[in-house]
Amino acid sequence: MNLLFVVLIPLMGAGLTAWISRFGRLWSAWMAGLVALAALGCLSPSVLAAFGGETLIQRWPWIPELGLELAFRLDGLGLAFTAMVLGIGLLVILYARYYLSERDDMGRFYAFLLLFMGSMLGVVLAENLILLLIFWEMTSLSSFLLISYWRHEEEARNGARMALAVTGFGGLAMLGGFLLLGEMVGSYDLSQILQAGDQVRADPLYTPMLVLILLGAFTKSAQFPFHFWLPHAMAAPTPVSAYLHSATLVKAGIFVLARLFPVLSGTIEWNWLVVGTGLTTLLVGAWFALFQHDLKGLLAYSTISHLGLITLLFGLGTPLAAVAGIFHVLNHATFKASLFMAAGIIDHECGTRDMRRVNGLWRYMPYTATLAMVAAASMAGVPLFNGFLSKEMFFTETASFLAEHPMGWLLTVAVAFAGIMAVAYSLRFSHDVFFNGEPVNLPRKPHEPPFWMKAPVEILVAICLVVGILPALTVAPLLQVAAASLLQEPPPSYDLAIWHGFGLPVVMSGVALIGGLVVYAERRPLFEIADQLKGRLDARAVFDHLLARLYTFARAVTGVLDRGSLQRLILLLLLSAIGLGLAGAIGSGSPLTGERPRMPIDGVTLFIALALALVSGATLLLHRLRLTALIVMGAIGLMVSLLFVKFSAPDLALTQLTVEVVTVVLLLLALYFLPARSPAESPLWRRLRDLGLALAAGGGAGALAWSILTRDYDPISDYFLANSVPGGGGHNVVNVILVDFRGFDTLGEISVLALAGLGIYAMLFKLHLPGPMHNPLGRPWNWDRHPDIMAALARLLLPLALLVSVFIFLRGHNQPGGGFIAGLVTAAALIMQYLTNGVAWTHRRVSSNMHPLIAAGLLVATGTGLASLVLGYPFLTSTFTHVHWPVVGDFELASAMIFDLGVYLVVVGSTLLILVHLGLMHSASHTPAIEAMRGTAWKS
Amino acid sequence: MSFDAANLLPILPEIAVLVTASTVLVLDLYLEERNKGLNHSLSLLGLVVALLLTGFVGGGETQILFDGNLVRDAMSDLLKGAILVVSLLAFIYARPWLKDRGMLVGEFYVLGLLAVLGMLIMVSANSFLTLYLGLELQALSLYALVAFERDSKRGAEAAMKYFVLGALGSGMLLYGISMVYGATGSIELGPVAQAIAEQGMSNKVLVFGIVFMVIGIGFKFGAVPFHMWVPDIYEGAPTPAVLILGSAPKIAAFALAVRILIDAMQGLHADWRDMLVILAVLSMGLGNLVAIAQSNIKRMLAYSTISHVGFIFLGLLAGSDQGYAAAMFYSIVYAVMATGAFGILIILSRTGFDAERLEDLKGLNDRDPWYAAMMALVMFSMAGVPPTVGFMAKLLVLEAVVRIDMVWLALVAVFFSIIGAFYYLRVVKYIYFDKPAEDAPVLATTGGVRVAMTFNGLSLLALGMFPAALLTLCQSAFV
Repeated sequence: MNLLFVVLIPLMGAGLTAWISRFGRLWSAWMAGLVALAALGCLSPSVLAAFGGETLIQRWPWIPELGLELAFRLDGLGLAFTAMVLGIGLLVILYARYYLSERDDMGRFYAFLLLFMGSMLGVVLAENLILLLIFWEMTSLSSFLLISYWRHEEEARNGARMALAVTGFGGLAMLGGFLLLGEMVGSYDLSQILQAGDQVRADPLYTPMLVLILLGAFTKSAQFPFHFWLPHAMAAPTPVSAYLHSATLVKAGIFVLARLFPVLSGTIEWNWLVVGTGLTTLLVGAWFALFQHDLKGLLAYSTISHLGLITLLFGLGTPLAAVAGIFHVLNHATFKASLFMAAGIIDHECGTRDMRRVNGLWRYMPYTATLAMVAAASMAGVPLFNGFLSKEMFFTETASFLAEHPMGWLLTVAVAFAGIMAVAYSLRFSHDVFFNGEPVNLPRKPHEPPFWMKAPVEILVAICLVVGILPALTVAPLLQVAAASLLQEPPPSYDLAIWHGFGLPVVMSGVALIGGLVVYAERRPLFEIADQLKGRLDARAVFDHLLARLYTFARAVTGVLDRGSLQRLILLLLLSAIGLGLAGAIGSGSPLTGERPRMPIDGVTLFIALALALVSGATLLLHRLRLTALIVMGAIGLMVSLLFVKFSAPDLALTQLTVEVVTVVLLLLALYFLPARSPAESPLWRRLRDLGLALAAGGGAGALAWSILTRDYDPISDYFLANSVPGGGGHNVVNVILVDFRGFDTLGEISVLALAGLGIYAMLFKLHLPGPMHNPLGRPWNWDRHPDIMAALARLLLPLALLVSVFIFLRGHNQPGGGFIAGLVTAAALIMQYLTNGVAWTHRRVSSNMHPLIAAGLLVATGTGLASLVLGYPFLTSTFTHVHWPVVGDFELASAMIFDLGVYLVVVGSTLLILVHLGLMHSASHTPAIEAMRGTAWKS
Repeated sequence: MSFDAANLLPILPEIAVLVTASTVLVLDLYLEERNKGLNHSLSLLGLVVALLLTGFVGGGETQILFDGNLVRDAMSDLLKGAILVVSLLAFIYARPWLKDRGMLVGEFYVLGLLAVLGMLIMVSANSFLTLYLGLELQALSLYALVAFERDSKRGAEAAMKYFVLGALGSGMLLYGISMVYGATGSIELGPVAQAIAEQGMSNKVLVFGIVFMVIGIGFKFGAVPFHMWVPDIYEGAPTPAVLILGSAPKIAAFALAVRILIDAMQGLHADWRDMLVILAVLSMGLGNLVAIAQSNIKRMLAYSTISHVGFIFLGLLAGSDQGYAAAMFYSIVYAVMATGAFGILIILSRTGFDAERLEDLKGLNDRDPWYAAMMALVMFSMAGVPPTVGFMAKLLVLEAVVRIDMVWLALVAVFFSIIGAFYYLRVVKYIYFDKPAEDAPVLATTGGVRVAMTFNGLSLLALGMFPAALLTLCQSAFV
C-alpha cells in the first residue's frame, strides 16, 4: 500500500502547505519538512526488501477500460532515485527556509516544491508507462511554476516558458513513443516491457519509437541541441536549481534511459543516437561552462556536460557502462547540489553571482569556501572524491569501446578534452571566486551564512568525501541493487577501488588534471575566442527564430484562408464538396450509370427541357433588368407546369399555375422598392470563376440525378394508388394524400402558413417605406392607378373566378382540384380587385381583417380531426358517404372535404393578409385612397 | 400507426424542456422588466428537471419508440445528461452578461432551450427524419441566437453567414440522406444498415450518399475544409451565444455522426474512414496552426475547436468500439472545456465591454486568482497536459488509433498538439505573468457563477485523475 502514499503524501501535502502559510511564513517550511519526512517514513518499510534485490509492485485499479492501473514499482533503480529525490529534497527544504527573503511567499514556494517532489516520485516509482508519462508532464508543469517563482522578473518568466515549451514538446513526443512501445509489447506495464527486449528491437517500428522516446529523454535532460533551456532556467531561486537542475528534473530523462535500457539498448541505432548526442553535449557543455561569468551559469553548463557524460555512458550499451552511468548519476547529484547551494550562499551574502566581481571570498567566508572547493574538486574528478570514481569508470569504458576501430582514439581524445575543460571550470569556480584578488564593488559585505544554511552543504560534501574514500563500505550495496534492476540481470563484476593499477584511464585522469591547470592558467586568449563565438552558437536564438517563423507561417496561412468574405467561404465549401464528390465517384468501383432500361426521348419532353434550359439561361442574362427577369421567370413556372401535365400530374400543374400567379404578384410588390436595374458589381474574372463553379456544381448534381434515375427503385406510389379509393374514398390520389393519408402533415402546413401570414402582418404593421416616384428613365409612374375599363373588367371576372374556385374545390376529391388550389384561385381573384380597384374600394366591400378567416380555417381543420377522436378513431380518420342530389346526380361526401374547407379558408386568409399588407406598405399605391378616405371624413 | 402513450415516458426529458420553453415564451409576455430574472430561474429549473428525468428514465435495455423514429439507449442517456449539464452551466454564465446589457429577456431563454431540445432530439434520433428535425431545430435557434444582439452589425453579419452556410451544410446532409434513402428504401437507421450490409459498395448512389452525409457532418462539426463559418461566427456573435453554440452542440454533432456513420453506415466504414482521415488531418493541422496567429481569443478558441474536432474524428475513424468510446469521451470533455473558456470570457466582460482580445486576459491572476486558476486549468486541459482530463481524452483517442495500426496518424496528431500547446500556454502567460490593464476594474461576479465555474474547472481535474467512471459510461454505449 505504501508506495501510492509515498507519491500522494507530497502531492496532498502541497495544498496543506500552501494553506498553513497563512498562520506564519515559517509554518509552511516546517510543514514541508514534515511532509517530506512522512513520505520518507512511508517508504521505509519497503526499503529493506528493495535492498534485498526484490521488485515490489503494488497495483490499484484505475482505468480498467484501458488496462491502466495505478501501479507502482520499487526496485534498486527506483530506490536509488527515490533516495535522491527525498534526501536532497529534505536538504533543499531546510536550505530554502534560510535562503528565501521576507518578501517571498514561502507557502507558495513550498507548495510548488512538494508538488514537484510528488511528481518526481511518481516518475521514478511508476510501473506503468502511461502513469510515468503523466507524472513526467507534471514535473514539467511544476518546474515551470518553480522557475517562474519570481514572476516579477522578465528573465524568470522567459526561462520558465522556454523550459516548459521544450520539455513539454519532449513529453508529447515521448507519449507517441510510449504508445508505440505499448502497442509492440501489448502492455504498458514495465514488468512486461522489460521482458520483451528482443521483440521490441526486432519490431519494424523500433526506430521511430526510439527516436520519439529519446526526444523526450533528451529534452528533459538538457541534451544538445535542446540544452539551451537549462541555463535560462537559472533565473529560478537557487534552492530550485539545487533540487531540479542537479538531482531530479534533469535526471528524469536519464532515468527513462536507464529504465528502458534493457529494452531499447543493444542496437546500432541506440549507440549512434545516444552516444552521438551524449558526446556532443559533453563537449558543448564543458566548453561553454568555462566562459560563463555567472556562477550559476557555469554550474548549469557543467550540469549539461555531466548529463552528456551520463548519456554517453548509457549509449555505449555495455553493462559496465550502465553501472558507471548510474554511479555518476548519484555522485553528480551530491556534488552538484552542494555546489548550487554554495553558489546560493554566495549570491545571498554578496548580492551578485558575477564572477568578475565576486573574488577573494576566502577571507570573508573560509568555511563555506572549503565546502565549495571540496565539491568542486569532486566535480573535476580529483582522487579521493566521489566524482573521481565514476569518472575513472567513464574513462575506462570510453577507452575500450572503440578500441578495435581505427578511428576509435578520437573518442578517447574527445573525452579527455572534456575532462580537461571540467578541471578548468572547476578551478575557475574555486580560484576565481575565493581567491584572485579582492571583491569588486559588491552590494553587500559578505560573511558566513547562518549555521543551518550551511548544514545541507556540509552533509552533501561529507557524502562526497565518504563515498570517495570508502566506496565499498558506503555506496556499493545501493549501486549493486540499482545496477541489477537497471540491467534486469546480475551486474558484471566491477571494482570500486580508488586505485586500479596503472592504465589508460589513469593517464587520462592525469592529462585532465594537468591540462585543466594549464588551460585555466592560460585562459585569457580562450576567453577572447569565446567572446567572438558568442551569439553564433546561441541555441536560444534558434529557438526564438523557429518560433518567429512558425508565427509568420501561421499568419500567412491565416491571410490566405481566413478573409471573412462570405462568397469566398461558399466558394471553398462548394469546391470541397465537389472534390469529395469526385473522389467518391472515382473511388468506388460501381459505374455511374445503372442498369435500368432507358426510356425513349419523346419530342414534347425534349422541347420542354430545351425551353426550360433556354428560359433559365435568359433569366440569368437578364437578371439585372429586374422586371424583365421576373417575366421570364414566370415562363419557367409555366414550363414546369407543362412538364407536370406531360407526366400526367394535372393537380401539380394546376397548383404550379396558381402559385405562379400569386408569386409574381408578391415579387412585383417587393420589386417596387428596388431599383429597376441592379448594377454590375463583380469583375469579369469573378463571373467566369462563378460560371466555372456553377457548371461544376450543376454537372455534379446532374451526374448524381443521372446515377439515381438510371437505377431501379421501389416507388411508394403503388400503395397510394391501390388504397386511395378504398381507404380515402377519392379518385384524386394527390388530394387524398393531402387531406387523408397525410392529413396531419397538411394540418401542420396550414398552421405554418397561418403563422407566416401573422408574422408578416406583425412585421409590416404600420411600416411605411418610401418607394420611388419615378421609373429609371425619370418618368413618373402612371398616376391613373385604377383605369376604369380594367377595373370594370376585373369586377366582372370576380364572380366567375369564385365560381371556378368552388368548382375546383368540390371536384377536388375525385378530379384534379382541391382546397389548396381553390384557395389560391379565390385569393388571386380578390387580389385582382385590390390591384385594379384600389385598397380603399375593396375594403369597403371585403373586410380588411383576415384573422377570423384564418382562425376559422384552422378551427375547422382541427375540429375534423378531433371529431374522429371523439368517435373513437385515431386523430383525423376520415369517412365518406354517397348522397343523391336531384340535379347533379350521385355525389360523394367525405369528411375529408370539411378538412379541405379548412385548408381553403386558411390559404385564402393568409395569402390575402400577406399580399394586401405588402401592398399597403408603400405610399404610392394607397396614398390617394387614404387621402380620399381622409377627404370624405374631413368633408363630412 | 396507432399512438401508444408508453412512448412518451422515455422522452420525458425532451418534454420537460419543451414545456419549459413554452412556459417561458408565454410567461415572458406578462413579466415586468424587473422580474425578468424569473425567465432565468425557470429555465434552470426546467433543465434540472430534465436532467433528473434523464436519470429517471435512463438505464436498462435499448427502447425503440415512435415506430422506430426515436431510440433511448445507453448513448442517448449519457449524451443527454452531458448536454443538459453543459447547458445549465452556459445559462448560469450568461445571466450577468444579459442583465448588464438589459437583454435578460425571454427570447434568449426560449431560443436556448429550443436549441437544447433540438440537441436532445438529435441524440435520441433513430431515423434520418428525426435526426434532421433535431438538427434543424437546433440550428435555427442558434442562427437567431447569433443575431441576438440586434444593434450589433458584426452579430448580424455573423448570423447571416451562419445561416447561409448552415443552410448549405444542412442541404448537403439532406442531399446525402435522400440518396441513401433512394438506395436503401428506408430512413430508419436499422433497416438502412441492413440494406447496406446486403448490397455493400456495389451501389454508386450509396457512395454519393455517404459523401454528402460526411460533408454535412463535417460542416456541423466545423471540420476543415467545412470549417469556414466557425471563426467568423465565434468572433461576431455575442459571447453568450457562442457559449451555447460552441459547447453542447459538439456533443449533439457527435451523436449525429454516430447515428449516421455507425448506426446506419457501419457497413461502409472503409469508405467513410478515408474521408474522415482527410478531414481529421486537415482540421488538426490548420486549426492548430492558424490558432497561433490569432489575437482575438474568441477566434483563437474557434480554431482550437476545429483542431479538437480533428481529434474527435480520429476516434470515430478508428472504427472500433474503443475508438467510438474515446471520441465520445473527447466530445463530452471538449464541451465542458469550451464552456469553461467562454464562461471566463463572459466573467471578464462588463457593461459596454466584451472581453475578446488575448490582452483582455492580462493579469487575471492579480484581479481574481481563483478564476485565473480555473482558466489555467481549462487551457492546460485543452493543451492536453496531465493530470487534466484533456490529456486523458487525447490519450484514449491516440490509443485507439495506434490500436488499428494507423501509427502515422497518431504521430501526426501528436505533432500538431505540440504546436497547439503554444497558444494555450500563451493564454496562461497572459493570465499569470502580465500586469492587468490600468483601467481594468475589479471583477464583479455572483456567487452562482463562481460555484459553477469552480465546478467546471475542478471537474476537468477530477475527470483527469479519475476518468474511469465516465469512460465506463462511454464504453457501455458501444457494446
